[in-house]
Amino acid sequence: MSARRSPVRSTGRRGLALLGVLVLLLVAACGGGRPEGNLDVPAKDALERATGVTKVTFWHSMDASNGVALNTLVSRFNDAHKGKIEVSAVFQGDYDTAITKYKASVQSSTTPSIIQIYDIGTQFMVDSHEVVPVAGFAKRDGYDLGVIQKNIAGTYTVDGTQWSMPLNSSVPLLYYNKTAFKAAGLDPDKPPQNLDEIRAAAEKLSKVDGGPVAYGFGAAIYGWYLEQLAATAGEEFCDHENGRTGQRVTAADFSSPTIVAAVRWWQQMVADGLAVNTGRVSKDAQDAFKAGQTAMTFESTGQVKGFTAASQGKFELGAAPFPVLSGSEAPGNGPSVGGGSLWISGPGHSEAEKEASWELAQFLAQPDSQAFWHTQTGYFPVNQAALDEPEDKAFVAKNPLFTVAIDSLNRTKVSPATTGCAAGPMPQMRKALEDGLERALIGKDVATSLRKVQENVAESVESYNESVGGD
Amino acid sequence: MSAALRTPEDVVPGPDGPAATRPDAGRRARSREGWGALVYLLPALVVFAAFFFFPLARSVYLSFQRSDLFGRPSGFVGFEHYADLFTDPGFGKTLLVTFGFVVLTVVPSMLVGLVLALLLSNRIRGVRFFRTAFALPFAFSVATAAVVFGVMLNPATGVVNGLLSYLGAGPVGWLTEPTTALLSVAITSVWMQVGYNLLVLSAGLGAVPDDVLEAARLDGASGLRLQTGVVLPLISPQLFFLAVTGTVQALQSFGQIHILTRGGPDRSTQTLVYSIYDVAFANNNSNFGAGSAQAIVLLVVVLAITAFQFGFLQRKVFYA
Repeated sequence: MSARRSPVRSTGRRGLALLGVLVLLLVAACGGGRPEGNLDVPAKDALERATGVTKVTFWHSMDASNGVALNTLVSRFNDAHKGKIEVSAVFQGDYDTAITKYKASVQSSTTPSIIQIYDIGTQFMVDSHEVVPVAGFAKRDGYDLGVIQKNIAGTYTVDGTQWSMPLNSSVPLLYYNKTAFKAAGLDPDKPPQNLDEIRAAAEKLSKVDGGPVAYGFGAAIYGWYLEQLAATAGEEFCDHENGRTGQRVTAADFSSPTIVAAVRWWQQMVADGLAVNTGRVSKDAQDAFKAGQTAMTFESTGQVKGFTAASQGKFELGAAPFPVLSGSEAPGNGPSVGGGSLWISGPGHSEAEKEASWELAQFLAQPDSQAFWHTQTGYFPVNQAALDEPEDKAFVAKNPLFTVAIDSLNRTKVSPATTGCAAGPMPQMRKALEDGLERALIGKDVATSLRKVQENVAESVESYNESVGGD
Repeated sequence: MSAALRTPEDVVPGPDGPAATRPDAGRRARSREGWGALVYLLPALVVFAAFFFFPLARSVYLSFQRSDLFGRPSGFVGFEHYADLFTDPGFGKTLLVTFGFVVLTVVPSMLVGLVLALLLSNRIRGVRFFRTAFALPFAFSVATAAVVFGVMLNPATGVVNGLLSYLGAGPVGWLTEPTTALLSVAITSVWMQVGYNLLVLSAGLGAVPDDVLEAARLDGASGLRLQTGVVLPLISPQLFFLAVTGTVQALQSFGQIHILTRGGPDRSTQTLVYSIYDVAFANNNSNFGAGSAQAIVLLVVVLAITAFQFGFLQRKVFYA
């Protein structure tokens, strides 16, 4: 029997070997030689010299109404460049998913021509050595990057170079329920300016103390808010000047007096029944505020439209600048910007393609595009001139709360503290900070919790810095 | 198998015996046959190779490698990732949470499914309606069910806490307290799983022969005794099947954890699969080396549990 089966088995083996070769060929074909392209700024006439239509792939993370708005802008661009440039915009999931796909595309040499990446991915993108900085294009063309709102530009500037073109920017605000404020005997036109005042208001608002709403305060467990408290206090969240001036970040200071005091404040609010802990999912905290169960919350300017719509007929909505830890905000201090920006890929892309991506980036940042973007999405106009467009003026008149955000950003001086931490592993640092806050909110000791998560993330920071050469 | 495929002309009477294979023709036929078999196997082999063997081999390889910025392997580190795992107390907690989640989902979903199936095996009015209604959650996607449960369990606006406060009980942080978070995620999973279990067990109960039940009744068995002594052994193949598939499914759960708790609070819902996601994909992490090491641990855990189930539980299964 075994002798009779042996030929079959050897054919099987041969077949398997053949299969193996096929698979290898397939793998080799997929990861094959990288096309031309480098990190240099292309010649200005690269597009004119190109024959045919230059195709641009644009990866982004804008879905729902934001995605619709972005696609509208992209088709406007395509219409204006018919026969010359064709941009195909591809939604790649949320920021985290998109950057994961981007990393896979680097591995297989199939990066998109231009990609939207979240603000905390800035240093990572710089370290990727895959990107042509927009500052290079701007310098070649004499394009004035000064048209970009200064704090937003500062967010994407590392060591003096602006690397990417901001697309969608936001800052956090303190939203509050004016109707509940009135019912609690508080002045609805005097929103709290610091955490102590939020607590004082919450004591009058919350049900525990006989107030009109279930909880005076409630916000998602989101590290960004704690980082903002460091920023509004004028403190740097990370060492080496938040990594902004050329030296790499080696640690974030989770145990700074500001962060510890803020976490302790939050913990006490929850313990005393003045605040509700709705966990990490932002939507849960938003729902509680929209339903009038909480009277104050932290959220990004991106919620101005959503909150306004949800409050219609239910309560009067108020918005105030993001609070400081204590006292009042020192002049020049203020929140740091969050959101996404556009990065132009170099390696693997032709000169014409790089040039076309730069054209797209300029188009999306020009005043009329940004006015459309601002009014459709509620994101900040990254180009200040957008505010002078009639479309935008009408929008701001209808959504007066938006001026709170614009003013609070314009007042803020650009400094390492107010542009936020540019560390490669910043997403992990933020997650660790959330772990620490979460532990505190379920009753664990604040100082120990923060120290523990700082130790946890230290290894990630170290291995990141090691993998980029530790310079 | 090869004998059955042989054509009659190949078999000729030989001097040494009643029949021997003519060497040349036989080899050709067998070779043809071998290629034929390969052609039939090829689709399956390609699929297995591409989606199972290759990823498995790759995971093993990656688990011994350091990962660079983009998750590319960047140097052999031996068993370092495994050593890190087994010296990290957090990983012990992850394993505990994983087993806790399996127990909290598989056992209740089988018990509830069984009770419902037994109740619905009685000839009552509207049994079809109830069976469909109870089986319906099975048709929900994980994401839909998790989002709905998230809304219901919201500490400030959820209907569950609303009911509790109506009854005079204080609000419970279902998904934000470490004591209740795993239970809440498990309840969501059980709700989805029960419908499927109900269908499988109902089918099993329907196949229990009436004459066996009749005979048992004549022997004086009734009520609970009839169910546990006669019916249960007869549907033990279905119970075994659900235990095995339910366990593997629970070990691989991701969606409901991601949507409801993101592994929190304080990692109290961080199962092995969620931990792999966290290390390899979340927060711009791309430590595929450490993630792969955890994936291999997961594979070993799944294999060990399944082997135990087949080796131990299956002996108690009664195949009629």
